[in-house]
Amino acid sequence: MADLATLLGELERLVQECATQLGQASSSEELEAVRVEHLGRKGRMAGAMSALPSLGPEDKPVAGRKANEVKARLTAMLEARQTELDRAAEAEKLASFDPTLPGRTPPVGSLHPVTLVTREICDVFAGLGFDVVDGPEVENDWYNFEALNMPPDHPARDMQDTLYVTDSIVLRTHTSPLQVRSMLAQKPPVAVVAPGKVYRRDSDLTHTPMFHQIEGLLVDRKVSMADLRGTLTAFVRRIFGPETNVRFRPSFFPFTEPSAEVDISCVMCGGTGHIHGETCRVCKQTGWVEILGCGMVDPNVYGFVDYDPELYTGFAFGLGVERVAMLKYGIGDLRMFFENDVRFLSQFS
Amino acid sequence: MLLSVDWMREFVPYDGTVEALADRLTMIGNEVEEIIDPFAQLTDVVIGRVVSCGKHPEADKLSVCTVDVGDETLNIVCGAPNVAAGQTVPVAKIGARLPGGVTLKPAKLRGVRSEGMILSEREMELTDDHAGIMVLDGALTPGERFVDALKLERCVLDVGVTPNRADCLSTLGLARDAAVAFGLPLTSPTACVQESGPDCRDMVRIEIPEPEYCPLYMLRVLQNVSIAKSPEWMRMRLLAVGVRPINNIVDVTNYILMEMGQPLHSFDKNLLEGGVIRVQRAQDGQEFTTLDGQRRKLVDSDLLIWDGAKAVALAGVMGGENTEINADSTDVLLECAVFRPASIRKTARRLALPSEASYRYERGVDQVGSRVALDRAVQLMAELSGGLVCKGVAENEPRPWAQPVIPFRRARCNDLLGLDLDADFCKKTFTLMGCEVDDADADRWSVRAPSHRLDLEREVDLIEEAGRVYGLDRIPADLPSISKSLEAVHHKGEFFFANKLKDWARGVGLNEAVNYSFVAPADLDRLGLPQEERIAIANPLSEDQAVLRTNVLAGLLGSLRRNRAQGAVRLGLFETAHAYFSDPDSETKAREALRLGLLLHGPRHARGWPWPTEDADYLDIKGLVEHLLDYLKLDVAEFRLLEAHSFMSPAVSVVLGDDAIGCIGRIKPDIADFFLAQREVWAADLDGEALRRMFSASAITFEPLPTLPPVRRDVTLGCPSGVLSFEVAAALEKFGPAILESVDLVDVYAPQGESGERNLTFRLTYRHQTKTLKDKEVDKEQGKLLDTLTKALPVRFFPPES
Ligand SMILES: [Zn+2]
Repeated sequence: MADLATLLGELERLVQECATQLGQASSSEELEAVRVEHLGRKGRMAGAMSALPSLGPEDKPVAGRKANEVKARLTAMLEARQTELDRAAEAEKLASFDPTLPGRTPPVGSLHPVTLVTREICDVFAGLGFDVVDGPEVENDWYNFEALNMPPDHPARDMQDTLYVTDSIVLRTHTSPLQVRSMLAQKPPVAVVAPGKVYRRDSDLTHTPMFHQIEGLLVDRKVSMADLRGTLTAFVRRIFGPETNVRFRPSFFPFTEPSAEVDISCVMCGGTGHIHGETCRVCKQTGWVEILGCGMVDPNVYGFVDYDPELYTGFAFGLGVERVAMLKYGIGDLRMFFENDVRFLSQFS
Repeated sequence: MLLSVDWMREFVPYDGTVEALADRLTMIGNEVEEIIDPFAQLTDVVIGRVVSCGKHPEADKLSVCTVDVGDETLNIVCGAPNVAAGQTVPVAKIGARLPGGVTLKPAKLRGVRSEGMILSEREMELTDDHAGIMVLDGALTPGERFVDALKLERCVLDVGVTPNRADCLSTLGLARDAAVAFGLPLTSPTACVQESGPDCRDMVRIEIPEPEYCPLYMLRVLQNVSIAKSPEWMRMRLLAVGVRPINNIVDVTNYILMEMGQPLHSFDKNLLEGGVIRVQRAQDGQEFTTLDGQRRKLVDSDLLIWDGAKAVALAGVMGGENTEINADSTDVLLECAVFRPASIRKTARRLALPSEASYRYERGVDQVGSRVALDRAVQLMAELSGGLVCKGVAENEPRPWAQPVIPFRRARCNDLLGLDLDADFCKKTFTLMGCEVDDADADRWSVRAPSHRLDLEREVDLIEEAGRVYGLDRIPADLPSISKSLEAVHHKGEFFFANKLKDWARGVGLNEAVNYSFVAPADLDRLGLPQEERIAIANPLSEDQAVLRTNVLAGLLGSLRRNRAQGAVRLGLFETAHAYFSDPDSETKAREALRLGLLLHGPRHARGWPWPTEDADYLDIKGLVEHLLDYLKLDVAEFRLLEAHSFMSPAVSVVLGDDAIGCIGRIKPDIADFFLAQREVWAADLDGEALRRMFSASAITFEPLPTLPPVRRDVTLGCPSGVLSFEVAAALEKFGPAILESVDLVDVYAPQGESGERNLTFRLTYRHQTKTLKDKEVDKEQGKLLDTLTKALPVRFFPPES
C-alpha cells in the first residue's frame, strides 16, 4: 500500500526539481524537454501518480487535489519561463534592428513653378467669381493688336517686339486677345481670367522669348477703378501675405484708360529698401516692386466687340507669372524656368 | 527721355529736391527709371592754368609744362600738339580717378617726372575729339572742380515716357507736367527774332501735293553763318542729355528738339537748287543716300523732301548727304514741319533707322508750338554762328490743326474712377494743363485741349487726366460683387484638363518640364517629322527658335540633352503643351493640339537600396499609360506594335476604341545618342485632346459590392511565339461564361531553349450574382472554356498537377 505522505513529498520535490531545470533551460527545445520530462504522458508526474490507485479511499481525494495543484504550478512555471525566453529572443532581435535604413520611398514628382503659381493665382480669382478661359497662342493680328486699340503703324506696337508667322498672324504677345475673345463669346457681365503662354522677340538676362501671363477682365454695369484696386489688393495679399501693400502708378496701355502699373511693397525687404543695412537688390532700394499692369477697359475696345460703352464699364489686368514666381520663391535667374534642369524642377514638389 | 533738371527749371520754378521731383513725376505717370549724374566720370578733374610750356629734352612731340592748379603748381608732361602757356585746361592730379575707372599714378616720361595729366575731350569721355587737349574759358579759376567751374548739370532723370505722351518727349513737356503736379506757374519759351535782308518767301516756294502726308511745312533762311564749335554751355547741356555736339547749327536743331520736342532739319542752302521745296513720296526702288553715308532703297510710301532737281532728305527721319551742313556752309535753310506719324514710323521701321526726330514724329508733334520752335531755333543759330536771319517764314499749311472740343461729365468721371472729385479740382487741373474749360452746363462741360496734347480727344482721356493728377494711388479699394447670368455657358476649358493630367503625372513621380514652343527645324528633321505641316516664324530670334514644334517630345528630348550635359543619371519628365500644325481652314491658320509627353531615362527607381537598380523599360512607359487611362476612368487600351516609326523602335500605338490616342516606345538609339542618352530612352506622346474628349464622356457610376464569394482558378497556357498575352486574355474573356468575372495574368514563364514558347498563367475569377458557386459547376464551365480556347488559338493547356 502506497503512502500518502511519500506521494505528496514526491510531488513537492517534482516542483523544486522542475524549477531548477527550468532555470537552466535556455531555449524552447530545452523547455519542451523539461515539459515532457515532468508533464509528458510518460513523465515524472505521471510516474508519481501511478501510485494513486493504491492509496486508501480517504487519501485519494487529497492526493488528487495535490496533483492538480502541482500540475497547475508546473504549467505556470513553464509558461513563465517561455515568456521570459520569448522576451529575451525579441530583445536580441531588436538589438540588431536598424531603424535608420532608407525606406522604400515612392518617387516624388513635381510641378513646374509656372504651373504652381498659375494655379494659385487662378484659384484666387476663381474664388472671387472669375471663370478661367483659354485661347490660341498663334493669333490673328486683329485679336492681338487691332481690336485692342493698336492699329497698324501705331507706336504702341513698339512696346512689344512681335514674332510673326505672316503679316497678319502673330504669336500672341500677351494674353489680352482673350479679353476680345471672351467679350465676343458672351454678353456682359463678363468675369474671366486667362492664363497662358505668350511670346516676344526679346531675349536677354531678364527676358525670354516665351513666358506666361494671366489676363483678367471684368465688364459689367458700374465697374469702377476702386473695384479694380480692391480685386488686385485681395489678390496680392492672398499670394504674398496680408501685410502686402499695393501702389497704383499711372501708365499707358492702348486697350485701357486710365491705365496703371501696380507695384507691391517689396517682399524681400518688407518695403524698407534695405536688408540688414544692405541695399535690397530686388527693389533696388525703392521698397516697391512692379508686378502687373491694369486699367479700365478703353471705350474703343467696346467698339470692336459691340458693347455699349455708355452702359458698361470694366477693368482688365495682366501679370507675368514668372515674375510672381521669382518673387515668391526667390528665383534670381529667369532663364532657369526653361532650362528644365531636374535639380531645379524637383524643388517644386 | 533724359530730363535735365536745371533746364527744366528754366520753365518752372521748382525748388524742391531732385528725389521729390522724381517721385512725383513717377506718380503722375512719367516713370523716372534712374537718376543719373551725366558727368560722374569728371568728379576728380580740376581747372588748371598752364604757367609755362617748354620742349621735352628727350622727345620732340612732348612738352613739359608747369600747371597752376590752385593750391599747388604741378610739373606735367603733355603730348598734345596744341598745349601752350596761358591756356586754361582740365587737369587730373595724381590720385584722381580717370574716366574708365583708372586711378592716376605719378609717372616718368622719358626721364621727366609728370605729376598729372592735361585731358582731351576723348579722355574725359565727352566727345571723340582727341586732336589735342581741351582748352577752356580763361576766366575760370585754377583749382576749382571742373564740374563746378563749368556749372555742369549733376542730375539728369531718365524718364520712361509712355507712347501716348508725345508731349513729354521734351524738357518743356515734362516741365508742363511738373507744373501741373506741383501747382506751379509755367513760363513758356518765347522767341524774338531779329530779321534783316531779303524775304525768305521770295527765295523758296513750298509744294505739298499730298497734304495728308504733311499738314505743315515751314522754312527760314539764315545767311552768312560761320560754322564752328558751339559754346561750352551748349555743348555741355547737350552732353548732359545724351546728345553729341557737332557744330553751332546742328547743335541748335538738337537743342530745340530736346527743349521743345520739335524736330528741325538744316540744309546747306547753297547746295539746293531751283528755289522750291517739295514734300513728295519716293518712287518705288529709288535710291537715296542719307547723311550717315548709307545708300538706301526706298518704296513709294516713303516721304522725301525734294528741291527743284533732286531728293534732299528722308522726311522726318534723316537728312541727305547731298545737302548736309558742312564746315564751308554759309547759308542755312531751316526746316520745321509736321508729318503724318504713321508714314514716318513705317519708313523708320522698314529702314531700321530710328532717330530722335522720327521717334517724335511717329508720336505726333505740336503743330501750333512748332512756330515758336522755328523762331527760337533761328534766333539761337544767329546768336551762335553770327548769321543774319532773313525776313519772314516760307510756309505751307494745307491742314491747320483743329482744336478738339471734348465733353466732360464729372459724374461719369467719378463713377469710373471710384472717386468723388469736385468741380473746382477738375476745372483747375484741366486749366493748368492748358485746356479751356466751358462749364456753362454743369453736368456736361466742353473742354478744348491745347495743341501739344494730341492724346486728349475723348472724355475718357480727360477722366484719366483728372485721376492721374489727383493720384490713382488715392483711389480706394472695394471688392466688386460679380454677378453672372444663368445663360453664361460654364465651359470647362483645357486649363482644367491639363491640370488633371499634371496632377496625375506629379503623383506618379514625374517632374514637369516647360520648354519653348519653338524649336530648330533640324530638331524636327532629326525625328523624321513631316515638313509640310510646320508653322515657321517669319522673324525668329535665332535658327533654334525658327519653327513651332509639331511634337512635344522634341522639347523633352532637348531637356534630356541639357540634363545629361549636367550629369543627370535618371530622368522622369513630363510636359503638357501644345503641338502646332498649319491648317488653312483655321481662323489663325494653325491647329493647336494639347499633347502629353512622357520621358523615362535611366534607373526605374529614383532611389537606391532597397529598390532594385534596373533601368526603366517598355513595361514602365506602358504601365504609366495604363495607369493614366485607369485614373481617367477610360477603357483598357490596346497596344499595337507599329511596323515603322520615324524615331521610335519599338513603337507601339495606343488604341482606345476606334481612336489611336498616342504612341509609346523607345527612342531609336542613334537619335537618343544625339541627346547624350547612352542608355535607353522610353517615351510617350499622347493626344491630350482625345483624352479630354473621352474623359468628359466618362463618368463614375457606382456598382454595388458583390455579396457572394468568388471562386478563383489559375490556368497555365503554353503559347507559341507570336501569340500575344492580350489576345489570349481577350479570348478568355470573349469565350468565358457569364459567371467569369475577370481574367488576370499572374505569371509569365519563358523556359530556356524551347523555341520561344511561353507559359502564361491566368487567374480566372468566377462569381455568380445570386448564389454560391459549387466547385463542380466551375470545373464544368472552365472545361468548356479551355476547350473552346484551344480550338480558337494555337495554345496548349496544362492540366493542374494532381
Ligand atoms: Zn526690397
